[in-house]
Amino acid sequence: MTERNEFFNTIRQALGPQTEAPNLTGTGSSALGDNSDAVSARSQAIQAYIDEQSGPLMDSLSESATGAGWKVARFDDLDKAGDHIVGIVRDVEANLVVRSRQDVLESGIVEAWLASLGVDVVPMALGEHSEHTVDELRSLAERADIGITGVDYAIAETGSCVLIPSAQVSRLVSLLPPIHIAIVQRGQVLPTLDELFTIRRRDFLDGNLGSYMNLISGPSRSADIEYTLVTGVHGPGEVHMILVG
Amino acid sequence: MQSHTKDFRQGAGAALSDPKIQANLEGLYNGFHQARIDASDQTPDWEALQDKGRAIKAHTLDNLAYYLEMVERNVIASGGHIYFAKDAEAASNYVVNLAKERGIELVIKGKSMVSEEMALNHRLEEEGIEPVETDLGEYIVQLAEETPFHIIAPAIHKSRVEVSELFVEKLNVPMYDNIEDLTREARDQLRQKFVDAGMGITGANFIVAETGTVTLVTNEGNGRMCTSMPKIHVAITGMEKVVPSIEDLGLFLRLLIRSATGQRISSYVTTVTGPRGEDEVDGPEEFHLVIVDNGRSKMLADPNLREALYCLRCGACLNACPVYRKVGGHAYGWVYPGPIGAIVSPMLTNLSEAKDLPFASTLCGACKEACPVKINIPRMLLYLRKELTQGETYPEHKSVSMAESTAVKGWRASVSSSFMMRLSNLGGRLLQLPFVRGGRIDRLPSPLSGWTKHRKFPAIASKPFRTRWKNIGKK
Repeated sequence: MTERNEFFNTIRQALGPQTEAPNLTGTGSSALGDNSDAVSARSQAIQAYIDEQSGPLMDSLSESATGAGWKVARFDDLDKAGDHIVGIVRDVEANLVVRSRQDVLESGIVEAWLASLGVDVVPMALGEHSEHTVDELRSLAERADIGITGVDYAIAETGSCVLIPSAQVSRLVSLLPPIHIAIVQRGQVLPTLDELFTIRRRDFLDGNLGSYMNLISGPSRSADIEYTLVTGVHGPGEVHMILVG
Repeated sequence: MQSHTKDFRQGAGAALSDPKIQANLEGLYNGFHQARIDASDQTPDWEALQDKGRAIKAHTLDNLAYYLEMVERNVIASGGHIYFAKDAEAASNYVVNLAKERGIELVIKGKSMVSEEMALNHRLEEEGIEPVETDLGEYIVQLAEETPFHIIAPAIHKSRVEVSELFVEKLNVPMYDNIEDLTREARDQLRQKFVDAGMGITGANFIVAETGTVTLVTNEGNGRMCTSMPKIHVAITGMEKVVPSIEDLGLFLRLLIRSATGQRISSYVTTVTGPRGEDEVDGPEEFHLVIVDNGRSKMLADPNLREALYCLRCGACLNACPVYRKVGGHAYGWVYPGPIGAIVSPMLTNLSEAKDLPFASTLCGACKEACPVKINIPRMLLYLRKELTQGETYPEHKSVSMAESTAVKGWRASVSSSFMMRLSNLGGRLLQLPFVRGGRIDRLPSPLSGWTKHRKFPAIASKPFRTRWKNIGKK
């Protein structure tokens, strides 16, 4: 008998006689019993809700993100947000900034904002026009003073930014530099964790789950020594959430 | 990991007489325990969430084979590898062989309690592979060559001065007198390890069956580093960590995190589904999930103990427990301390050797009260006590002495009828005469001396209650 079958035999013996396909309705879990259409319907309802309630959700996010340790600033449009970001970069005397290549940043706005300061901005992604290898990109992210990203979603309940790495989004921009700046746009804010995971289930059923997701909720922190809170352990110790719109 | 559960009494005694440990344990209560209470109070419908979480856990465990096969299909579909390990040794062999095959010399580790069960670091070192713990608390514990003191705060028994002295000794760095500097030093030391390591090992807080996704909850970011920097990611976890759907994660993240630290959410929640996608810039090229039994199937098979597998490893029952709060984590002698550890550790190691653990409880119920999925820990502690004395399900672990079992049988006989009760009362009143002072028994001779070691024992009343009651009735 293979090791694997032996493992499952032990479990089946432990469980005793049972049906192979469990009855999913009695679980209290809303999930597996649903068919794909039901998940789509719920997902669409969420999209409609966050569009309609985008203003109040931004207000609520601003409050919860502050509580989670983000430095939150809110602006009507990207230009004004740019001035604020230039201020942050100038204050910390950054020399090197890495950014991810989400749509919001792809127009080159970060480069435009920081041109006057003479700060290098490196987009972290492999592409036809990228001049860097994977290893070079990684060492740039290690040396960078600031990482700037957009977000896929934000969550009002917890003050979280949700980043889903993809072809255009490196895992490292929001991780290796000591400062992370995340730009959240109106319409990206979900009420709670539950809506996020419903949407992600829809993505999974569509074959778009991807390999990775991070919910980032404030700075890297630890209270492992004497319960004393310190920030910036392995991830960024300073995090800015820029709300636009 | 070598079990020292039989040394509970010595360990407890040592902790009780160490004022430093007592002060740190006090902090645990004031910190995490109070934060958890505040967090659950502030969560709307907390109890409904607990009930729902419990129902999902019960359902998943009752159908574990079905869900583990679902995990297997979906991990493979996402391009990952999966290995089912029947015990700690099989799991260690898998990881060690993988590391050797890939020529790995340095492994970075996130927090994984199961890897403590496996004594994985020790195994890796034997093979000439350097394992480095990256959770700050675990890193300190590893440098000190100790074991974790608490599930979520492994080094909470050490003061900043002790940590500083440890860094001076092991890392050859200057003495730092504040925690920020200590943390920065650890960050710098570990950053280079993250860059150089060929393999990252993590635990998993949840495994989603439907998608084959591993979920990690961290505050420091080491979980993200372990799953972003090295070429190979290995997640090792117990088989009870499965939840059916990705839509269950919101609920379980709330229950776990609010109970563990009182935060609304931890700094990072990371989900990993297989290796990096073909078009991704970074992330591991290989993903392995190792699912470990290592004795869990014994608890699964016993309807009286199955609910011990609902545990989310939040540590709330430790912080709430009046015994843990005095004796601390090391006294329990194995990976899992505190009330849930007093059930899990004996069952995963050796019940007879760990026989003191189920008795190290006042049965006050604070653990059950604190548990996010309402695990009835006191009921299971009583069950294990009964097994140790009567051995109905586990006769091989019946460990009561002949003298004690005779004494209990005698006691049972003496109260089985009113005649026997009167007779034994009379006998008792006569036998106690040489020991009674002022209505109390100060000291009994061996083998009964234990009863009077720490307190005076009330003497048998000269007039039994039944007699007094009769007299009251007459008046």
